[in-house]
Amino acid sequence: MNARQTQNGRVALALVTVVAAMVGLSFAAVPLYRIFCEVTGYVGTPNLDVAEVPTQVSDRVITVQFDANTNGGLQWKFKPSQRQVTVKLGEPNLAFYTAENLSEKTVTGTATFNVTPYKVGQYFSKIDCFCFTEQTLAPGQEVPMPVEFFVDPEIFNDPNTREVKTITLSYTFFRSGTGTKDAGDDKSAALTKIDTGKI
Amino acid sequence: MANDAAANHDDHHDHTPTGAARWLCSTNHKDIGTLYLAIAIISSVVGGAMSWYIRLELTYPGIQYIDDFQFYNVLVTAHGFIMVFFVVMPALIGGFGNWFVPLMIGAPDMAFPRMNNISFWLLAAALILLVVSALVDGGPGTGWTVYPPLSDINYHPGAAVDFGILALHLAGASSILGAINLIVTILNMRTPGMTMHRMPLFCWAMLVTAFLLLLAIPVLAGGLTMLLTDRNFGTAFFDSGAGGDPLLWQHLFWFFGHPEVYIIIIPAFGIISQVVSTFSNKPIFGYLGMAYAMSAIGVVGFVVWAHHMFTSGLSVDARAYFTTATMIIAVPTGVKIFSWMATMWGGSIKLEVPMLFAVGFIFLFVVGGVTGVTLANSSADLAMHDTYFVVAHFHMVMGVAAVLAMFCGFYYWIGKMSGREYPRFLAKLHFWLFFIGVNVLFIPQHFSGLAGMPRRIPDYPDNYWGWNYVSSIGTAITVAGTLVFFLVLWRTLTAGKPTEANPWGEGAKTLEWTVPSPAPFHTHEYPPNMDEPAPAE
Repeated sequence: MNARQTQNGRVALALVTVVAAMVGLSFAAVPLYRIFCEVTGYVGTPNLDVAEVPTQVSDRVITVQFDANTNGGLQWKFKPSQRQVTVKLGEPNLAFYTAENLSEKTVTGTATFNVTPYKVGQYFSKIDCFCFTEQTLAPGQEVPMPVEFFVDPEIFNDPNTREVKTITLSYTFFRSGTGTKDAGDDKSAALTKIDTGKI
Repeated sequence: MANDAAANHDDHHDHTPTGAARWLCSTNHKDIGTLYLAIAIISSVVGGAMSWYIRLELTYPGIQYIDDFQFYNVLVTAHGFIMVFFVVMPALIGGFGNWFVPLMIGAPDMAFPRMNNISFWLLAAALILLVVSALVDGGPGTGWTVYPPLSDINYHPGAAVDFGILALHLAGASSILGAINLIVTILNMRTPGMTMHRMPLFCWAMLVTAFLLLLAIPVLAGGLTMLLTDRNFGTAFFDSGAGGDPLLWQHLFWFFGHPEVYIIIIPAFGIISQVVSTFSNKPIFGYLGMAYAMSAIGVVGFVVWAHHMFTSGLSVDARAYFTTATMIIAVPTGVKIFSWMATMWGGSIKLEVPMLFAVGFIFLFVVGGVTGVTLANSSADLAMHDTYFVVAHFHMVMGVAAVLAMFCGFYYWIGKMSGREYPRFLAKLHFWLFFIGVNVLFIPQHFSGLAGMPRRIPDYPDNYWGWNYVSSIGTAITVAGTLVFFLVLWRTLTAGKPTEANPWGEGAKTLEWTVPSPAPFHTHEYPPNMDEPAPAE
């Protein structure tokens, strides 16, 4: 192999490494996006990484409202048990949602969540909640779902978020991807839509 | 020059392979370039037929020909994939890139001739898989953007989308290997004396394009693999219910998808620079500006992807950023347009057929490009997203401008590739029919789009009829032009007058014009000398 071929090989190896790095980065996008949102609170991502509850409870108060949604395919009644609470900054609080399975099959769901306004995401800390854990409900079963949270007193020291008086915590329950949904139903429904060709 | 003539008289290389050895197992950059051009021409008929069928249905309101709407969606999807991956990319990068990069830099072939061959055959296999995907289980009716959940297993059960994913994997592999080949060739195999700042702008264009391919296609591959495992192996990258997010696909796809459109247009820029310089008998104005404008477009093109996602729920800050970054790309692009104009200014202009296509490119690329700047405004895009205004925009820049550049390259280089002249009258007829046809086709679509007509629909409310009808007339004129092109191709290859090494005169200063026409099987077996001090064009 002459010098030209060796040099060609070296450049080619460097380029293959670049390709591998880009593939790796696209898979790494999954955790990277999540970490970015959690660290910065971007788009209202609440702070789940709570090392400790703050010892100082401020006298300032803020209102937290609770919102509940279900995604279309889930036949559950999902509501907050209280529409809102007024809490002191730094004080841990417990709130409840209830979920009732209105269908005739056992169904598993998981919830996603965020807070609005988006900019307070990093100051809203959830100590414990039912997010992302699968909840399985038998037909007709109703369960309470607790959320333990606090609002970081720093929210008042940040000039960007100082004026916020109300935070809304919103959950959406989806039919779980690994649940006992009847895949056959979904498939045949989809195929019917395709075959009839109707808009 | 003289060295090449002497080398060609040597006897030791007189056994040009024939038959299967020549065409299945090629390691020759010219033959592989020809194979890519052939696949592009064949695919253009298939992709074109699909669009003509779509336009046939859209001529009148109501459904006349296509009452299976899944089939309609499959036509839209296949048309897009075929045109992007099997017509424009093979023609510009695989075809003209392979043919002329080694010739222009004085190299005997590409750096990795056997890998060059597998790049081509991977593409052929990809085309087969794409055709199969359209024929099984109802086909992939997702659009070329393949968004989940529509592309996920619940809404496209069956194997069609999976075949499509595998087709794209192969096409992507083909492009990545081709990009590696181009980069190594351009960086390492320029003839002595040809520094980077003396190589032709077409080679700069191919270098920038190859880097874009290298960085963007792997991200598509990652996303495609995630979709494949979501569909078949129980992962949940894009399924909200299981902790994933459909938005992840959009980010990954468009992180690839935006550089992809620059991958399509930058080789076209390279061809236009060569042709404008040749037929103005002047070096390109501002060579360094042109080279670095292409590089800047490539770099900035990587940080604007979410302008395809303005309606997906991005925060206002994100939309503000992407609006600004996208509009910034107009600056280096403008540098190129003005440089071409400055090249022509004061030049001795010959309106030969390649120059007609080049001037047509410059004008229509600007028209198409400015509608892109309009769409870059996220607030306005809320009304224009997924309307025919977007369809009009990308067809003007890709379906019109890039195709004009492809024809420009064809007319400029067909003499070198085949040794024969094209028939001038038919070629001009082709130009005018095509130019008029595509304008009648696509300009009215701007109006339908602004009036609110959505894209990817087989039927529309009656009030959109007028411009749709005009657009379909444009299709007919374009088809006529395309038929004339096939006549030109056939007449050139079968009955064209033999042409000389350099039919274009003193304006053609790059190295491919120093070898005979048709170019011999082996060229530049000894590196040509570069001792004249004139700058490269």
